[in-house]
Amino acid sequence: MASRAPAATGRLLLGFRKWYYNMCGFNKIGLMRDDTIYEDEDVKEALRRLPENMYNDRMFRIKRALDLSMKQQVLPKDQWTKYEEDVHYLTPYLEEVIRERKEKEEWMKK
Amino acid sequence: NIPLSSCFLVFQRRLYAAQAARKVEVAGAAEHVKFQPQEVQVTKLPSGLVIASLENYSPASKIGVFVKAGCRYETPDNQGVTHLLRLASNLTTKGASAFKICRGVEAVGGSLRSVTPQRFQWLTYFLPSCLSLSSDTVMEYLINVTTAPEFRPWEVSDLTPRVKLDKAHAAHREEIGVVEGLHAAAYKNALSNSLYCPDHMVGNIQSEHLHNFVQNNFTSARMALVGLGVDHTVLKQVGEQFLNIRSGAGTTGAKAQYRGGEVRLSSCSGLVHSAVVCQSAAASTGEALAFSVLQHVLGAGPHIKRGSNATSKLAQGVAKATSDPFDATAFNASYSDSGLFGVYTISQAAVAGDVIKAAVAQVKAVADGGVTAADLTRAKAQLKAQYLMSLETSEGLLEEIGTQALAGGAYHSAEAVTSNIDNVSLTDVANAAKKFVSGKKTMASSGNLVKTPFVDEI
Repeated sequence: MASRAPAATGRLLLGFRKWYYNMCGFNKIGLMRDDTIYEDEDVKEALRRLPENMYNDRMFRIKRALDLSMKQQVLPKDQWTKYEEDVHYLTPYLEEVIRERKEKEEWMKK
Repeated sequence: NIPLSSCFLVFQRRLYAAQAARKVEVAGAAEHVKFQPQEVQVTKLPSGLVIASLENYSPASKIGVFVKAGCRYETPDNQGVTHLLRLASNLTTKGASAFKICRGVEAVGGSLRSVTPQRFQWLTYFLPSCLSLSSDTVMEYLINVTTAPEFRPWEVSDLTPRVKLDKAHAAHREEIGVVEGLHAAAYKNALSNSLYCPDHMVGNIQSEHLHNFVQNNFTSARMALVGLGVDHTVLKQVGEQFLNIRSGAGTTGAKAQYRGGEVRLSSCSGLVHSAVVCQSAAASTGEALAFSVLQHVLGAGPHIKRGSNATSKLAQGVAKATSDPFDATAFNASYSDSGLFGVYTISQAAVAGDVIKAAVAQVKAVADGGVTAADLTRAKAQLKAQYLMSLETSEGLLEEIGTQALAGGAYHSAEAVTSNIDNVSLTDVANAAKKFVSGKKTMASSGNLVKTPFVDEI
């Protein structure tokens, strides 16, 4: 019983996450989670480092979303981003940028 | 309050200085240590890595990693990759970020550079110099830079402006254009590659190019770790532990094929730079030494600043042909499998033809036996002095040890080299000159070329 408990919580958590993901709503206009991060200096640097095709895909999704939002529409349901298909494509780059910034700040403290 | 505290500071400092001075005195009196002069120690590890070091008791040490990976190992697909590699020595590695390398080396008062000492031979050595105590820190960066570079795409593409800057600097110096053009015209492959990234590759070299090049060329068998002012056993340990990541010989470079030809670079300059050369001998052969002596017989540049170059045969000969200012020196470059020897002249555009022909005629005169024993002795003395003086600087010595270690896995002492120079005879020099006279010529000229002859007219 004890060994099954974490798996059960895992499933429960996943269910909650999925529900929350769909509640956020950005998937209905075709965005991914990383498209919605606020563009501060770190994110701008991370975006500069993105491989070109990933950057172009991101631009496409954002433009499509702007268009839809202006028209007050959502995509047909089969084109919504699914929780399983959402890739955190920017996160590794962003983490690297933040790590570099922290390293610099640490050095400056000395 | 302020004057008082400053007084205190001064006092403290003086006290400290006095203490330090006494300490040295005591140490000197008690020990009287005599440092024995040491020989250069060379070890070849089973992996092929050559470790060479000289303990010179200097408080500052220098460590270099020499890699047989010059631009002669570039292929048409990755031309210019070594130029990028030279600039990429401070980029992020697996062990340390670009920021950490830069600040860390600065913090211990060191310096980290990567250069191509001899045009095409061995590219890239990384050369930190710092106080011996902090060698370990810098060593860590050095190992990181040579063995674990990451070449992140965005960092590599940020190098493009620096490549352009380098090229712009080079474009301002005509002699660079002439020597680059000379090699491009003289060889079919390998040595014809330029030190600078060609125009069509600027901005087109990706991090994969760099990774492939490093993977194929930075192997243990093609590296030498050289240290000055460091302990040989310590250096050996470092070599065994850290520089062992890629074994094997890597890709073998093609043997240089000489073809001969001509390059003419027109420009608005009023002067004409021109080099006429033929194929000479590979480095470290006896013939190459004869060419070096011949270079000094003909004149290898002024020995006295703004002097009249009276001992230079070329200067004497050309002075008869023109009254305009000119410069004529013998050009000598030797690589592992080939070499170029000839004359390099700078002259006014109107008399370029006369100057070049007079300079070539001087080499012919030497080939016909126009060298006296006195000329030979003088040339040998000049060559020996130049060689020995180059070993006086720690950078020159490091480069010499590294070059020899990579070429043959051994180090020939300065005495051995100078006695070899002494053994060059008059006939050797005349034969070298004959090789130039009869050999197929290559010519590169730059400037206003109206009066400059073509290679077949010389």
